Amino acid sequence: MAPPLFLQTIEDTGLSTWLRESESPFAFYFILLFHTFGLALLVGANLVVDLRLLGIARGIPLAPLKRLFRIMWIGFATNATTGVFLVIAYPTKTLTNWDFYLKMAIIALAVWMMQRLKNSVFNESGLSEEGMMARGAALAKWSLFLWFAAITAGRLLAYTYKYLTYPS
Amino acid sequence: MNFAHLHLLLNHFPIIGTIVGLGLFLISLMGQKNDDLRRAGLITFAAMALVAILAFFSGVGADGAIRKSPGVSEDLIVRHQGAAMLALLFMEITGAFSLVALWKSQKRLHPSPWNWGLSAVLLFSFITVGLMARVGTTGGDIRHPEIGTGQEQADVSGISKIVHVFEPSPDKFAELMTASKWWWAFMMDLHFVGLALLIGTVGFLNLRVLGFAKQVPVAPLHEFVPWAMVGFGLNLVTGVLAFTGMAAYYTYDWAFWLKMLVIMLLGLNVAAFYLTGAFESVADLGPGENAPPLAKFIAGTSMVLWFLVITLGRYIQSFSDTISVHK
Repeated sequence: MAPPLFLQTIEDTGLSTWLRESESPFAFYFILLFHTFGLALLVGANLVVDLRLLGIARGIPLAPLKRLFRIMWIGFATNATTGVFLVIAYPTKTLTNWDFYLKMAIIALAVWMMQRLKNSVFNESGLSEEGMMARGAALAKWSLFLWFAAITAGRLLAYTYKYLTYPS
Repeated sequence: MNFAHLHLLLNHFPIIGTIVGLGLFLISLMGQKNDDLRRAGLITFAAMALVAILAFFSGVGADGAIRKSPGVSEDLIVRHQGAAMLALLFMEITGAFSLVALWKSQKRLHPSPWNWGLSAVLLFSFITVGLMARVGTTGGDIRHPEIGTGQEQADVSGISKIVHVFEPSPDKFAELMTASKWWWAFMMDLHFVGLALLIGTVGFLNLRVLGFAKQVPVAPLHEFVPWAMVGFGLNLVTGVLAFTGMAAYYTYDWAFWLKMLVIMLLGLNVAAFYLTGAFESVADLGPGENAPPLAKFIAGTSMVLWFLVITLGRYIQSFSDTISVHK
């Protein structure tokens, strides 16, 4: 069964063709670069908060870590934006791959976990450090697992696709 | 300048450097314990562990430069490569234990009387010095007929026979790395996980020194540094394995070599942080306190260079085949 035709329509647009075929260093690899920057910010900041909640570097006061959530959202916004461009560059490759939907589901869960963590641990005033850690530990473990899974699913996109471009 | 030049330029450092490091280290353990000398020895090992990787990487291009020349024996090159792989393994283990020992010897950590890291360094640095000597000897055999025995085939007698048993075959090793795309995908996956761990921990420390989230005191934040080293170690291992799997692909790539250069600069930056007093100047900063300019400069440099490493790493693929000497 051939992939749906709209994939070919996207692929034939000027933007998609340029992103995919341009020799310019500011085409596909530039988008991919910022997708990696976003990963570093989003997952890096999450890792630090999770590790602290699990008892590492206990001397760091928890409350100011709330500021790291802003960095997480900057990373997320970067990756959502660059992600759209990456899909536009290779719509058939991406949207016919089951791993892409798995990755989206994992990221949705991970971001949900991130917000739950912020609301139940960092937005509750009057919680003691112990109280914050007790509430956050389980969420932090989920967060670590989900971000690891998200990176893995993302990496696997390069190895699991069926079509690179629309089959002619 | 070609890869043969570069290889000759780099390859003496780990051989002689480990001997110097071991000398400093042994003297520091004798008589009155000399902490500064011991630190100098450990820092030398860590630095050599970094430079040895470059020496190892440059060997592939050097091989390409001379393999087809008359009088060069492929057997001898392969033996030298196997010896280099084994020596590199022990060099990296020595470097890793040196960093552990350096970390544990911090005054503020109340060092335990028995620093097991030091014993490990002693053991592994001895082995490394021996293996490095063999790398140098087997390397010299390739191109120095005036000192050699005129041999064309790899020597397999005496002690070298025993050591040779542990030396991997470069071709078989490369095959092993690339045999399964899932193994490759797994290595790349870990490379990105290491990246996130490294940037998250080092990035937070840098940002704090630069003035972000000033309510966080620096001393406890510094406890993330071992986690940064875990991230770096993960990427060093997966990176070196990937290189051995597709050595020619990385060797003739400008982005790859620039990335290695920037990683070396980051090594210098870490040295600057801990050895110029910048670390002492921020170690006791409490909530709301400002870091002095030198520490801020080093933190900013670290930030810029790490993002440059990511950038160059990302462009390796599109810069493949951009170096055309002796291909």
